[in-house]
Amino acid sequence: MKKERSKKYRLIQGLRILIQTVFFILFFHLLLGTHFPGEDYIGRVEIFFHFDPLLALTTSIASRAFFASFALAAITVVLTFVLGRVACGWVCPLGSIHQAFSFLFKKTKLLRPKRPKGNQTAWKYYILGFILVGTLFSLNLVGILDPLSLLYRSFVTGILPAANYGFSALLGILYKVHLFSLGDSLVQFRENLAVNSTFLQGFFIGTLFVGILLLNLYRERFWCRYLCPLGALLGLMSRWNVIKLKIDPKKCIECHLCNIHCETQANPFPEEGWKSSECVYCFTCSSICPTNAMAFPIKSQPEEIKKVDLSRRKLIFTSLMGLFAVPFFRLSPSTKRASPKLIRPPGALPEEQFLQKCVKCSECMKACPTNGLQPALSEAGPEGIWTPILVPEIGHCEYYCSLCSQVCPTGAIQELAIEEKTKVKIGLAWVNKNRCIPYDLGTPCIVCEEHCPTSPKAIKLVKTEVKLPDGTIKTPLAPVIDTELCIGCGICENKCPVVDKPAIYVTSVGESRSERNQLLLDLIKEKSGPY
Amino acid sequence: MKRREFIKDVAVGSIILKFQPNLFAQDNTSPDLAWIQGESPAQITKEAISALGGIQRFISRGDVVVVKPNIGWDRVPNQAACTNPQVVKTIIELCLGAGAKEVKIIDNPCNPANRTYARSGIADAAKEAGAKVLFPNPHRLKKMPLNGEWLKEWEVYTDFVEADKIINVPIAKTHSLCRLTMGMKNWLGALGGNRNQLHQKLDQAMIDLAAFFKPCLSVMDGYRILIRNGPQGGRLSDAKLFKTVVAGVDYVAVDAAGATFFDIQPQDLPYLQIAHQKGLGEINLEKLKIEKRTV
Repeated sequence: MKKERSKKYRLIQGLRILIQTVFFILFFHLLLGTHFPGEDYIGRVEIFFHFDPLLALTTSIASRAFFASFALAAITVVLTFVLGRVACGWVCPLGSIHQAFSFLFKKTKLLRPKRPKGNQTAWKYYILGFILVGTLFSLNLVGILDPLSLLYRSFVTGILPAANYGFSALLGILYKVHLFSLGDSLVQFRENLAVNSTFLQGFFIGTLFVGILLLNLYRERFWCRYLCPLGALLGLMSRWNVIKLKIDPKKCIECHLCNIHCETQANPFPEEGWKSSECVYCFTCSSICPTNAMAFPIKSQPEEIKKVDLSRRKLIFTSLMGLFAVPFFRLSPSTKRASPKLIRPPGALPEEQFLQKCVKCSECMKACPTNGLQPALSEAGPEGIWTPILVPEIGHCEYYCSLCSQVCPTGAIQELAIEEKTKVKIGLAWVNKNRCIPYDLGTPCIVCEEHCPTSPKAIKLVKTEVKLPDGTIKTPLAPVIDTELCIGCGICENKCPVVDKPAIYVTSVGESRSERNQLLLDLIKEKSGPY
Repeated sequence: MKRREFIKDVAVGSIILKFQPNLFAQDNTSPDLAWIQGESPAQITKEAISALGGIQRFISRGDVVVVKPNIGWDRVPNQAACTNPQVVKTIIELCLGAGAKEVKIIDNPCNPANRTYARSGIADAAKEAGAKVLFPNPHRLKKMPLNGEWLKEWEVYTDFVEADKIINVPIAKTHSLCRLTMGMKNWLGALGGNRNQLHQKLDQAMIDLAAFFKPCLSVMDGYRILIRNGPQGGRLSDAKLFKTVVAGVDYVAVDAAGATFFDIQPQDLPYLQIAHQKGLGEINLEKLKIEKRTV
């Protein structure tokens, strides 16, 4: 038998790597470009998400409404029905990262591929079932495991901040060795990128992501094989596609190289065992086949359909788990009392609808010009983990900015024009008179009033009698909040010179989106609410 | 030339110089303040500087110049919260025309810098004029001895200290603590650190800072002034079209002139009063030679 690898498939493989690189660069370019563009409105930097049928499906079911931008997901669906899971193998930026790390680990002999045993590839279908059952009860957990959400969130809150830290350290060295002009231009480059680098859960989310990458040490594209719910959904769609594997039995020497090196455990050999639902069409098998025995011919009529290999018992079990998970994910004190720290970005839907739509992708956190939008931990209950909240101690809501509402891929934050946005209340500010400098020390300050962006200002300065420790009385100007005018942007809290715990702070009460979380009764009357 | 003629010329020349010492010193013939009104912000700026004796009086060939406008807030020009971009642009053009090696624009704003720089219109205008528009660089922050009465030391962006010349280009606005924020208050934008704490003794901080930075020229933008809800404004009605620029070397006098934009006597502003007593500048406008014109 003549030993010769297929030139054609090696070429296709090269093309695949090229296209993966292009899509990854595009994804990364859009991610880096998600910041204030110098004008009020930003383009569709979130477009990748709209091609994701899993997000389209889950948010539609959970919110019982279809968000028009998700029409693009139909392209992915059609592509998958016709060509199989090429979106996984050729487009998905997370898949590309996994493939690159798998390659790296194989080259460095950290990973020695073995012949796969068992049927762990079914895990991801059970995960998908778990998620979909939840959406029937409006519990939208897809953002935790959707590959695009996971990648975007990890980059925004973990990887980029870490990279920024490293970059700053490098700059510090440059300035130490007096390379000032190089340092200056690199600083300006960084400032122009406007990367937010302070995230409360940066370590946690970043470590989780690194952990997922390290799974590639155990199996190639571990995530894509066993865990990815989007891969599972596309796998279910790719049973009828027209590209099917064909092994030439005369050439095949049964070396099993294809099985060992199959990226996603699709079992190319023997041909009858090959699962098109697992194949991502990376063409690794056909290009490493030493005898050029493998081919992927296009057939208009698929000969036989291999079902996704699932155990009905396990599927029912995990679906029931999804059902029982619903009340657990809803165990939150917010049913008793609104959470004061749950300050949502302006334009956010009422909490219930917001949670149905938010896919925890961090687009809004990347776009926020002040770094104030942060991934929630417990503020919104278990189901609201990693959804955006404003933490004014880190960054305020910029008055003339509505970027978060523009980049939200699911409409969980409704798109607002700047004029509309400036009227939205996201909370109210409160003065802590026990810590406020004029109230406590009798000294002038006015910093909160100065920064208050509304006109007229929501913080008024009123002469207030203050007793000092020696008993003398002073009458400094002290801040008093006009709750009608306050929009809860939190710049007062952010700029308060009481550096550790600000003497003025914002809580969620009074937020426009809520009917219950209100302070002033007449505000409720104006709306056509149930009251 | 004969020896006799030479001695005669020298003698005559010496006598003339003795009794007319200002003959070659252009300084004293030019006014203390140039106070120009007119429709075009660029033109009144140009006129004001030429009334002071032209930019050559302040900028020499090869100078590195830092121009310090107020780019503090995320506001557009007609809201009058930041210096008028045309005023800034004109000054940059004049400096580069006078042979300045480099003109830098820097301010440490209150809102995010990329927003204030863009929306104030200053970044575009300054780049067009050929200046380097720089975001404040944390690696260039250095604790400096200010040796003020109250501020002994503070973190300052070294760009301001290393420059050959600095030109202060504030805008005149109301402010709830010091009543008016103009040139002396503008130096808070050259600082890092927790500068919001300076408000506890703001008047003294402003004086200490003004004495430290020593601009070679101050140009007060009064094209639009902020008469309400300062220092940010917001509504267009908070700003007033005033169409004035005042320039001078004496930065205290320039601020004193700015006070009158708001019908406030300079003597009524404590920081101007103290600055005057400390000998930093004149606040009695009657004692100043003012060239007031409309173009």
